[in-house]
Amino acid sequence: MSTIARATRAQPVHLVVIALIAIVFVIGFSASDRFATPLNMANVQDQMVALAIVALAQTIVILSGGIDLSYAGALSFLCVVFAAIAGDSAGALLLAMAAVVALGILIGMINGGITAYVGVHPLITTLGTSTILAGAALLITRQPSGSVPLFFEDFTYGRLGVMPFGMIFVIALYLLIGFMLWRTTFGTRIYAIGDNEAAAAVSGLPVRQTKVAIYALSGLLCAVAAMYMTGRFGVGDPRAGVGFDLRSITPVIVGGTLLAGGKGGVLGTALAVILLAFLANVLNFMNISSYYQWIAEGLIIIAAVSFFAGKGKS
Amino acid sequence: MTATATNPANSKPNRNTVRATQRRELLILLGFLAVIWAVTTALSPRFLTPANLKDILIQAAPLGFVVIGQMIVIIVRGLDLSVASIMATVAVLSTALIDSTPVIFIVGLLLGAFIGAINGYLVAYRKVTPFLATLATMIVLQGIRFAYTKGAPGGTLPEMFRWLATGDILGIPVALIALAVVGFGMHWLLERTVFGRRLKLYGDSPEAAYMTGAPTKLLVVMAFVISGVLAAIAGLFLVGYVGIVDNWTGRGYELDSIAAAVIGGAALSGGKGSVPGVLLAALILVSLFNIVVILGLSIELQLVIKGTLIILAAAVYMKRSQG
Repeated sequence: MSTIARATRAQPVHLVVIALIAIVFVIGFSASDRFATPLNMANVQDQMVALAIVALAQTIVILSGGIDLSYAGALSFLCVVFAAIAGDSAGALLLAMAAVVALGILIGMINGGITAYVGVHPLITTLGTSTILAGAALLITRQPSGSVPLFFEDFTYGRLGVMPFGMIFVIALYLLIGFMLWRTTFGTRIYAIGDNEAAAAVSGLPVRQTKVAIYALSGLLCAVAAMYMTGRFGVGDPRAGVGFDLRSITPVIVGGTLLAGGKGGVLGTALAVILLAFLANVLNFMNISSYYQWIAEGLIIIAAVSFFAGKGKS
Repeated sequence: MTATATNPANSKPNRNTVRATQRRELLILLGFLAVIWAVTTALSPRFLTPANLKDILIQAAPLGFVVIGQMIVIIVRGLDLSVASIMATVAVLSTALIDSTPVIFIVGLLLGAFIGAINGYLVAYRKVTPFLATLATMIVLQGIRFAYTKGAPGGTLPEMFRWLATGDILGIPVALIALAVVGFGMHWLLERTVFGRRLKLYGDSPEAAYMTGAPTKLLVVMAFVISGVLAAIAGLFLVGYVGIVDNWTGRGYELDSIAAAVIGGAALSGGKGSVPGVLLAALILVSLFNIVVILGLSIELQLVIKGTLIILAAAVYMKRSQG
């Protein structure tokens, strides 16, 4: 029960991140007339969709005390496979979706299996699979290739007012995973394993099976992100996932989820994704080069983790 | 996971068992290296030539420096993701600012030590997870480096600097002599001094190390400082070897060095690792790269082989420590 309370309670970190978002908005308003336009708002949302999905997957894994660095290779591989199969008909698209989802789950099960049953540290397991998949993506094609049906590409660019379809999908996904974490046995087990794996095992939880399921879910979400990204690019880019391994971790941590597992949730991650996306947007309006944005990002990570260090295990 | 298996109070027979295990792991690594070298020699006459072997060794030197530092950090239950960023930042800043080779090295090493100290401070005193502390340093350094060079680093390297990285004394590459000196020094430090014993004890059990009166926070800071200094050396040798200072010098070394450390017998749970082991592992990784090129295989295949090797090596060690 305490687990559920811990997950749903509004934490100070949420308020801090919301305050930071407000500050970023105030700076945005004063920095440029174009900031508050519907077009810019929609653009920023477009830019956060892929990262939001991957960060959601990372949140689940980190909550369980693990880590998934396989996204860099997995996203590239899945994008290439998706574009290779999807072609230009609805039938091929369905086949490609089924294939990519199955592969994503399989990748996750391999990650989870090696981590849970062989006992290899998830950092090493997922680093290994990421390297293999990055190689596999480039073995399939060195240049962006393949295609997706035009109607699917249009769909990923579609908007409902100022809200892209992708964003609506992301919100639904966050609500769904949030519900899963707070209200289902599976969710409670994730928190329990992240909190104290040994205790979870002693109290009879199927720790190993749960871990495999967690990484499989992570792989599934990765597949969803890959389909969206391929739709946006229009082709399968064998380097699509580069950087997503470490980028997916920043919002999770800034959102207050502890790397050690057991504490945090999807709300923090969602707020942090919003903060980071608008921060980058505003810094662009202020003509601050991405070099300084890197410095800002690093300092935000240090500030966030230093703030929570000492409040529980970190 | 392995930490619980090892008794922190190392009694004498226990330590002998540890030594025996280390020796067996070294033999396995040597055997593996021999097998891949033998197979490649059978497949291509261009592999086992003095010139090619020398190339492999020179190319392995920068990774060798980095992996020793990475291992020291891993021994105290840490992880250093900032090594590649340190390599590039030190190389870019010190060669841009200074023309004299000795001064470049002195300033570079001090810079590496300073960055390592920041990592160590965040981990030991601010209780930030090593993964995050060094990830943040990595990103900040990247920003500083690019902001300073505006994306395009310039500057020429002094003659002596190039010679240090590519030249040789009596046929032995200078980079290798430097690596040998550092390797022996770190091996001695780790196996024969109180400092080394405390590092391993801390990795086995931080509480036990604290109880014995060891300055545990300082130990962690020192481990990161060593890693920072060795990454700085590696960065300078690498730009000297390549001949061009690049903002992405050393890219990929953070993950390669972690892979080599794990393949070489360091456990991410801390307390375990040996200099000969990780150096052999670095040599294996660099050999694989060379072999892929020699055999005319696609470069992409190298990634697949490397990833498989990382997982296999880690799996083998896990099975052994459980059994």
